[in-house]
Amino acid sequence: METQKTILIVEDEKNLREAIADILRLKNYLPLEAENGKVGVEMALSKHPDLILLDLLMPVMDGMAALKKIRADAWGAKVPVIILTNLSATNEQLVEDMVTHKPMHYLIKSDWKLHDVVAKIEDILKA
Amino acid sequence: MKMAIKMKLLNKVLCAFLFIALPGLILLSPLVSAQVNITKNARVDTGNAGLAVRVAPGEVLPISVKLSNFGGGKRVDVLLKYSIFTSTGEEIYTTSDTAAVETTASFVKTVQIPFGTAPGVYTAKTSATYQGQLAPTTTQFSFTVERKILGIFQSDFFFYGGISVLAGIFIALLVYFLVRRRRTTRFTPLDYSNIPHDKRTFYEILSDTIMQMRGRVGEQALEIASHIDGLKIDKETGRVLDLTEPPAKIIATLVSEYEKLLGKKVSFSFRGNT
Repeated sequence: METQKTILIVEDEKNLREAIADILRLKNYLPLEAENGKVGVEMALSKHPDLILLDLLMPVMDGMAALKKIRADAWGAKVPVIILTNLSATNEQLVEDMVTHKPMHYLIKSDWKLHDVVAKIEDILKA
Repeated sequence: MKMAIKMKLLNKVLCAFLFIALPGLILLSPLVSAQVNITKNARVDTGNAGLAVRVAPGEVLPISVKLSNFGGGKRVDVLLKYSIFTSTGEEIYTTSDTAAVETTASFVKTVQIPFGTAPGVYTAKTSATYQGQLAPTTTQFSFTVERKILGIFQSDFFFYGGISVLAGIFIALLVYFLVRRRRTTRFTPLDYSNIPHDKRTFYEILSDTIMQMRGRVGEQALEIASHIDGLKIDKETGRVLDLTEPPAKIIATLVSEYEKLLGKKVSFSFRGNT
Protein backbone atom coordinates (compact mmCIF):
# COMPACT_ATOMS: atom_id res chain seq x y z
CA MET A 1 0.00 0.00 0.00
CA GLU A 2 1.34 3.40 -1.04
CA THR A 3 2.08 5.77 1.83
CA GLN A 4 0.20 9.04 1.87
CA LYS A 5 2.34 11.92 0.62
CA THR A 6 2.65 14.93 2.89
CA ILE A 7 2.54 18.48 1.59
CA LEU A 8 3.36 21.51 3.69
CA ILE A 9 1.45 24.65 2.79
CA VAL A 10 3.16 27.79 4.07
CA GLU A 11 0.67 30.57 3.43
CA ASP A 12 -0.55 33.44 5.58
CA GLU A 13 -3.90 33.82 3.76
CA LYS A 14 -6.08 31.42 5.71
CA ASN A 15 -8.77 31.02 3.05
CA LEU A 16 -6.27 30.20 0.34
CA ARG A 17 -4.32 27.87 2.62
CA GLU A 18 -7.46 25.96 3.58
CA ALA A 19 -8.72 25.81 -0.01
CA ILE A 20 -5.45 24.25 -1.16
CA ALA A 21 -5.51 21.85 1.79
CA ASP A 22 -9.06 20.77 0.91
CA ILE A 23 -8.14 20.02 -2.67
CA LEU A 24 -5.07 18.10 -1.58
CA ARG A 25 -7.15 16.02 0.86
CA LEU A 26 -9.53 15.21 -1.98
CA LYS A 27 -6.52 14.03 -3.96
CA ASN A 28 -5.56 11.78 -1.05
CA TYR A 29 -2.58 13.83 0.09
CA LEU A 30 -1.93 14.79 3.70
CA PRO A 31 -1.70 18.59 3.93
CA LEU A 32 0.18 20.35 6.72
CA GLU A 33 -0.54 24.02 7.26
CA ALA A 34 1.73 26.82 8.44
CA GLU A 35 0.64 30.46 8.68
CA ASN A 36 4.09 32.05 8.31
CA GLY A 37 7.69 31.26 7.38
CA LYS A 38 8.86 30.60 10.92
CA VAL A 39 6.19 27.99 11.60
CA GLY A 40 6.79 26.64 8.13
CA VAL A 41 10.50 26.06 8.75
CA GLU A 42 9.79 24.34 12.07
CA MET A 43 7.19 22.06 10.53
CA ALA A 44 9.35 21.34 7.50
CA LEU A 45 12.38 20.34 9.52
CA SER A 46 10.37 18.25 11.98
CA LYS A 47 7.81 16.60 9.67
CA HIS A 48 9.93 16.28 6.50
CA PRO A 49 7.05 16.73 4.06
CA ASP A 50 7.34 15.40 0.50
CA LEU A 51 6.81 18.86 -0.96
CA ILE A 52 6.54 22.44 0.27
CA LEU A 53 4.21 25.05 -1.18
CA LEU A 54 5.62 28.39 -0.10
CA ASP A 55 4.30 31.94 -0.19
CA LEU A 56 6.88 34.76 -0.23
CA LEU A 57 5.20 37.72 1.45
CA MET A 58 4.30 36.63 4.97
CA PRO A 59 4.51 38.08 8.48
CA VAL A 60 7.10 36.98 11.06
CA MET A 61 9.35 35.36 8.45
CA ASP A 62 9.03 35.77 4.68
CA GLY A 63 9.16 32.88 2.27
CA MET A 64 12.66 33.47 0.91
CA ALA A 65 14.14 33.56 4.43
CA ALA A 66 12.27 30.34 5.19
CA LEU A 67 13.55 28.73 2.00
CA LYS A 68 17.15 29.64 2.89
CA LYS A 69 16.79 27.98 6.30
CA ILE A 70 15.19 24.90 4.81
CA ARG A 71 17.90 24.61 2.12
CA ALA A 72 20.56 24.91 4.80
CA ASP A 73 19.36 21.59 6.25
CA ALA A 74 20.67 18.35 4.75
CA TRP A 75 17.16 17.01 4.18
CA GLY A 76 15.82 20.43 3.14
CA ALA A 77 18.49 20.90 0.48
CA LYS A 78 16.66 18.46 -1.76
CA VAL A 79 13.00 18.83 -0.86
CA PRO A 80 10.92 20.08 -3.80
CA VAL A 81 9.55 23.58 -3.23
CA ILE A 82 6.95 25.46 -5.22
CA ILE A 83 6.76 29.19 -4.66
CA LEU A 84 3.23 30.54 -4.99
CA THR A 85 3.22 34.28 -4.64
CA ASN A 86 1.84 37.59 -5.81
CA LEU A 87 5.32 39.02 -5.91
CA SER A 88 6.79 39.38 -9.40
CA ALA A 89 10.46 38.58 -9.81
CA THR A 90 11.35 42.19 -10.59
CA ASN A 91 13.96 42.45 -7.86
CA GLU A 92 17.55 41.50 -8.67
CA GLN A 93 18.21 40.06 -5.22
CA LEU A 94 15.04 37.98 -5.34
CA VAL A 95 16.11 36.51 -8.69
CA GLU A 96 19.59 35.84 -7.35
CA ASP A 97 18.14 34.05 -4.30
CA MET A 98 15.81 32.02 -6.44
CA VAL A 99 18.59 30.81 -8.70
CA THR A 100 20.69 29.98 -5.64
CA HIS A 101 18.00 28.13 -3.71
CA LYS A 102 16.16 26.68 -6.71
CA PRO A 103 12.49 26.12 -6.09
CA MET A 104 10.91 23.81 -8.69
CA HIS A 105 8.49 26.49 -9.85
CA TYR A 106 7.94 30.18 -9.25
CA LEU A 107 4.23 30.67 -9.80
CA ILE A 108 2.32 33.94 -9.75
CA LYS A 109 -0.95 33.38 -7.88
CA SER A 110 -3.08 35.48 -10.21
CA ASP A 111 -2.00 33.44 -13.24
CA TRP A 112 -2.71 30.03 -11.77
CA LYS A 113 -5.88 28.18 -10.82
CA LEU A 114 -5.66 26.09 -7.70
CA HIS A 115 -6.31 22.90 -9.64
CA ASP A 116 -3.39 23.69 -11.94
CA VAL A 117 -1.14 24.25 -8.94
CA VAL A 118 -2.26 20.91 -7.53
CA ALA A 119 -1.57 19.35 -10.95
CA LYS A 120 2.01 20.67 -10.71
CA ILE A 121 2.30 19.14 -7.23
CA GLU A 122 1.04 15.80 -8.55
CA ASP A 123 3.50 15.89 -11.45
CA ILE A 124 6.42 16.45 -9.08
CA LEU A 125 5.38 13.74 -6.65
CA LYS A 126 4.73 11.20 -9.41
CA ALA A 127 8.16 11.77 -10.95
CA MET B 1 -24.77 22.51 -106.73
CA LYS B 2 -22.18 25.12 -105.68
CA MET B 3 -25.01 27.11 -104.14
CA ALA B 4 -26.10 24.08 -102.09
CA ILE B 5 -22.55 23.55 -100.82
CA LYS B 6 -22.32 27.21 -99.87
CA MET B 7 -25.61 27.04 -98.01
CA LYS B 8 -24.46 23.93 -96.14
CA LEU B 9 -21.31 25.74 -95.09
CA LEU B 10 -23.39 28.71 -94.00
CA ASN B 11 -25.63 26.38 -92.00
CA LYS B 12 -22.63 24.91 -90.25
CA VAL B 13 -21.35 28.37 -89.39
CA LEU B 14 -24.75 29.38 -88.02
CA CYS B 15 -25.05 26.19 -86.03
CA ALA B 16 -21.58 26.75 -84.64
CA PHE B 17 -22.66 30.28 -83.63
CA LEU B 18 -25.70 28.90 -81.87
CA PHE B 19 -23.64 26.27 -80.05
CA ILE B 20 -21.14 28.80 -78.91
CA ALA B 21 -23.27 31.86 -78.23
CA LEU B 22 -26.49 30.57 -76.76
CA PRO B 23 -25.15 28.40 -73.95
CA GLY B 24 -23.76 31.64 -72.62
CA LEU B 25 -27.28 33.00 -72.45
CA ILE B 26 -28.94 29.90 -71.08
CA LEU B 27 -26.66 28.77 -68.32
CA LEU B 28 -25.70 25.10 -68.48
CA SER B 29 -28.49 24.47 -70.90
CA PRO B 30 -27.77 22.12 -73.71
CA LEU B 31 -28.33 23.29 -77.20
CA VAL B 32 -28.93 20.87 -79.96
CA SER B 33 -29.37 21.59 -83.61
CA ALA B 34 -31.95 20.13 -85.92
CA GLN B 35 -31.43 20.90 -89.59
CA VAL B 36 -34.05 20.28 -92.22
CA ASN B 37 -33.51 21.05 -95.91
CA ILE B 38 -36.66 21.49 -97.90
CA THR B 39 -36.40 21.18 -101.68
CA LYS B 40 -38.81 21.82 -104.43
CA ASN B 41 -38.92 18.15 -105.33
CA ALA B 42 -39.22 17.31 -101.65
CA ARG B 43 -35.75 15.91 -101.23
CA VAL B 44 -35.10 16.13 -97.57
CA ASP B 45 -31.88 16.13 -95.58
CA THR B 46 -31.72 16.23 -91.81
CA GLY B 47 -28.97 16.41 -89.24
CA ASN B 48 -28.29 17.18 -85.66
CA ALA B 49 -25.27 18.07 -83.68
CA GLY B 50 -25.47 14.91 -81.59
CA LEU B 51 -24.34 16.52 -78.39
CA ALA B 52 -24.44 14.55 -75.16
CA VAL B 53 -26.41 16.88 -72.94
CA ARG B 54 -27.83 16.95 -69.44
CA VAL B 55 -30.86 18.67 -68.03
CA ALA B 56 -32.63 18.50 -64.72
CA PRO B 57 -36.34 17.78 -64.35
CA GLY B 58 -38.25 21.05 -64.80
CA GLU B 59 -35.47 22.67 -66.82
CA VAL B 60 -35.76 23.57 -70.46
CA LEU B 61 -34.00 21.71 -73.23
CA PRO B 62 -33.16 24.18 -76.02
CA ILE B 63 -33.30 22.76 -79.52
CA SER B 64 -31.77 24.84 -82.26
CA VAL B 65 -33.77 24.46 -85.44
CA LYS B 66 -32.60 25.56 -88.86
CA LEU B 67 -34.80 25.11 -91.88
CA SER B 68 -33.53 25.62 -95.41
CA ASN B 69 -35.74 25.78 -98.47
CA PHE B 70 -34.00 25.38 -101.76
CA GLY B 71 -37.24 25.67 -103.67
CA GLY B 72 -36.48 28.98 -105.32
CA GLY B 73 -38.14 31.27 -102.84
CA LYS B 74 -41.45 29.50 -102.79
CA ARG B 75 -42.92 29.61 -99.30
CA VAL B 76 -43.38 26.26 -97.59
CA ASP B 77 -45.41 25.74 -94.40
CA VAL B 78 -43.75 23.21 -92.15
CA LEU B 79 -45.28 21.47 -89.18
CA LEU B 80 -42.59 20.69 -86.59
CA LYS B 81 -43.23 18.10 -83.91
CA TYR B 82 -40.97 17.81 -80.89
CA SER B 83 -41.17 14.66 -78.77
CA ILE B 84 -39.25 13.20 -75.90
CA PHE B 85 -38.93 9.46 -75.46
CA THR B 86 -37.62 7.30 -72.69
CA SER B 87 -34.92 4.74 -73.38
CA THR B 88 -37.69 2.15 -73.71
CA GLY B 89 -39.43 4.20 -76.40
CA GLU B 90 -42.23 5.60 -74.27
CA GLU B 91 -43.21 9.14 -75.25
CA ILE B 92 -43.33 11.38 -72.20
CA TYR B 93 -43.72 14.76 -73.86
CA THR B 94 -44.81 16.12 -77.20
CA THR B 95 -45.54 19.52 -78.67
CA SER B 96 -45.74 21.00 -82.15
CA ASP B 97 -45.15 24.27 -83.98
CA THR B 98 -45.54 25.57 -87.47
CA ALA B 99 -43.04 27.57 -89.42
CA ALA B 100 -43.18 29.20 -92.84
CA VAL B 101 -39.93 28.93 -94.76
CA GLU B 102 -39.08 30.81 -97.93
CA THR B 103 -35.31 30.45 -97.91
CA THR B 104 -34.02 29.68 -94.40
CA ALA B 105 -35.43 29.93 -90.91
CA SER B 106 -33.53 29.57 -87.66
CA PHE B 107 -34.86 29.55 -84.16
CA VAL B 108 -34.43 27.92 -80.80
CA LYS B 109 -37.26 25.84 -79.49
CA THR B 110 -37.27 25.23 -75.79
CA VAL B 111 -38.87 22.11 -74.44
CA GLN B 112 -39.49 21.92 -70.71
CA ILE B 113 -38.63 18.57 -69.23
CA PRO B 114 -41.53 17.54 -66.95
CA PHE B 115 -40.75 17.95 -63.23
CA GLY B 116 -41.47 14.31 -62.42
CA THR B 117 -39.13 12.93 -65.07
CA ALA B 118 -37.01 10.11 -63.68
CA PRO B 119 -33.26 10.36 -64.11
CA GLY B 120 -31.98 8.52 -67.16
CA VAL B 121 -31.22 8.74 -70.87
CA TYR B 122 -33.90 10.17 -73.16
CA THR B 123 -34.25 10.89 -76.81
CA ALA B 124 -35.51 14.17 -78.25
CA LYS B 125 -37.00 13.76 -81.70
CA THR B 126 -37.84 16.61 -84.06
CA SER B 127 -39.85 15.81 -87.16
CA ALA B 128 -40.90 18.10 -89.98
CA THR B 129 -43.97 17.63 -92.15
CA TYR B 130 -44.83 19.75 -95.14
CA GLN B 131 -46.86 19.58 -98.28
CA GLY B 132 -45.39 17.48 -100.99
CA GLN B 133 -43.05 15.67 -98.65
CA LEU B 134 -41.69 12.47 -100.09
CA ALA B 135 -39.97 10.99 -97.07
CA PRO B 136 -40.26 11.49 -93.33
CA THR B 137 -37.90 14.14 -91.98
CA THR B 138 -36.77 13.38 -88.48
CA THR B 139 -33.78 14.29 -86.46
CA GLN B 140 -33.04 13.07 -82.95
CA PHE B 141 -30.46 13.17 -80.25
CA SER B 142 -29.98 11.70 -76.82
CA PHE B 143 -29.75 13.61 -73.63
CA THR B 144 -29.60 12.77 -69.95
CA VAL B 145 -32.00 13.84 -67.25
CA GLU B 146 -30.30 14.19 -63.91
CA ARG B 147 -31.44 15.78 -60.67
CA LYS B 148 -29.67 18.79 -59.24
CA ILE B 149 -28.52 19.48 -55.70
CA LEU B 150 -28.09 23.15 -54.82
CA GLY B 151 -28.16 23.98 -58.52
CA ILE B 152 -25.46 21.46 -59.42
CA PHE B 153 -26.04 18.18 -61.20
CA GLN B 154 -26.10 15.32 -58.73
CA SER B 155 -23.07 13.53 -60.21
CA ASP B 156 -21.10 16.78 -60.36
CA PHE B 157 -22.20 17.64 -56.84
CA PHE B 158 -20.86 14.37 -55.46
CA PHE B 159 -17.76 14.46 -57.64
CA TYR B 160 -16.76 18.04 -56.91
CA GLY B 161 -18.14 17.81 -53.38
CA GLY B 162 -15.94 14.76 -52.77
CA ILE B 163 -12.93 16.53 -54.22
CA SER B 164 -13.70 19.60 -52.09
CA VAL B 165 -14.04 17.51 -48.93
CA LEU B 166 -10.78 15.68 -49.66
CA ALA B 167 -9.04 18.96 -50.47
CA GLY B 168 -10.48 20.47 -47.29
CA ILE B 169 -9.26 17.55 -45.18
CA PHE B 170 -5.86 17.72 -46.85
CA ILE B 171 -5.56 21.48 -46.25
CA ALA B 172 -6.79 21.14 -42.66
CA LEU B 173 -4.23 18.40 -41.97
CA LEU B 174 -1.50 20.41 -43.65
CA VAL B 175 -2.34 23.51 -41.61
CA TYR B 176 -2.56 21.41 -38.44
CA PHE B 177 0.87 19.85 -38.99
CA LEU B 178 2.46 23.15 -40.03
CA VAL B 179 1.04 24.95 -36.99
CA ARG B 180 2.05 22.08 -34.74
CA ARG B 181 5.53 21.98 -36.21
CA ARG B 182 5.89 25.75 -35.86
CA ARG B 183 4.58 25.65 -32.32
CA THR B 184 6.82 22.73 -31.45
CA THR B 185 9.81 24.52 -32.94
CA ARG B 186 8.96 27.81 -31.24
CA PHE B 187 8.05 26.39 -27.88
CA THR B 188 10.65 23.73 -27.45
CA PRO B 189 13.04 24.88 -24.72
CA LEU B 190 16.35 25.88 -26.23
CA ASP B 191 19.44 24.01 -25.17
CA TYR B 192 22.16 25.88 -23.28
CA SER B 193 24.40 22.97 -22.34
CA ASN B 194 27.33 24.87 -23.90
CA ILE B 195 26.98 27.64 -21.31
CA PRO B 196 29.08 27.31 -18.11
CA HIS B 197 27.06 25.76 -15.30
CA ASP B 198 27.12 28.83 -13.04
CA LYS B 199 25.45 30.95 -15.73
CA ARG B 200 23.32 28.33 -17.44
CA THR B 201 20.31 28.66 -15.12
CA PHE B 202 20.09 32.39 -15.89
CA TYR B 203 20.20 31.71 -19.62
CA GLU B 204 17.51 29.06 -19.26
CA ILE B 205 15.22 31.30 -17.17
CA LEU B 206 15.60 34.16 -19.65
CA SER B 207 15.08 31.91 -22.66
CA ASP B 208 12.04 30.18 -21.16
CA THR B 209 10.55 33.50 -20.05
CA ILE B 210 10.90 34.98 -23.55
CA MET B 211 9.42 31.80 -25.06
CA GLN B 212 6.54 31.82 -22.59
CA MET B 213 5.72 35.47 -23.30
CA ARG B 214 6.07 34.89 -27.04
CA GLY B 215 3.41 32.24 -26.71
CA ARG B 216 1.17 34.63 -24.79
CA VAL B 217 1.59 37.91 -26.70
CA GLY B 218 3.49 37.03 -29.89
CA GLU B 219 6.53 38.65 -31.47
CA GLN B 220 6.24 41.70 -29.21
CA ALA B 221 7.89 39.59 -26.51
CA LEU B 222 11.02 39.28 -28.66
CA GLU B 223 10.98 42.99 -29.44
CA ILE B 224 10.85 43.91 -25.76
CA ALA B 225 13.56 41.41 -24.84
CA SER B 226 15.85 42.70 -27.58
CA HIS B 227 15.82 46.15 -25.95
CA ILE B 228 16.84 44.99 -22.48
CA ASP B 229 20.28 46.32 -21.55
CA GLY B 230 22.89 43.58 -21.35
CA LEU B 231 20.70 40.97 -23.08
CA LYS B 232 21.59 39.81 -26.57
CA ILE B 233 19.09 37.53 -28.25
CA ASP B 234 18.45 36.05 -31.67
CA LYS B 235 15.46 38.03 -32.89
CA GLU B 236 14.14 35.05 -34.88
CA THR B 237 14.35 32.29 -32.34
CA GLY B 238 14.58 34.15 -29.04
CA ARG B 239 17.79 32.29 -28.18
CA VAL B 240 19.84 34.09 -25.57
CA LEU B 241 23.23 34.80 -27.15
CA ASP B 242 25.04 36.74 -24.48
CA LEU B 243 24.61 38.47 -21.12
CA THR B 244 26.78 41.52 -20.55
CA GLU B 245 25.13 42.76 -17.32
CA PRO B 246 24.55 40.83 -14.07
CA PRO B 247 22.15 38.01 -15.10
CA ALA B 248 19.81 38.45 -12.11
CA LYS B 249 19.45 42.12 -12.96
CA ILE B 250 18.63 41.27 -16.59
CA ILE B 251 15.95 38.78 -15.51
CA ALA B 252 14.44 41.27 -13.07
CA THR B 253 14.42 44.00 -15.77
CA LEU B 254 12.88 41.69 -18.37
CA VAL B 255 10.13 40.54 -15.98
CA SER B 256 9.53 44.16 -15.00
CA GLU B 257 9.28 45.30 -18.64
CA TYR B 258 6.86 42.51 -19.53
CA GLU B 259 4.71 43.47 -16.57
CA LYS B 260 4.85 47.17 -17.39
CA LEU B 261 4.43 47.01 -21.18
CA LEU B 262 2.24 43.95 -21.55
CA GLY B 263 0.44 43.83 -18.23
CA LYS B 264 1.51 40.21 -17.82
CA LYS B 265 3.18 38.68 -14.80
CA VAL B 266 5.79 36.00 -15.29
CA SER B 267 5.92 32.58 -13.69
CA PHE B 268 8.79 30.23 -14.38
CA SER B 269 10.10 26.81 -13.72
CA PHE B 270 13.62 25.61 -13.29
CA ARG B 271 14.97 23.22 -15.90
CA GLY B 272 15.47 19.66 -14.89
CA ASN B 273 12.38 19.99 -12.73
CA THR B 274 8.92 18.89 -13.73
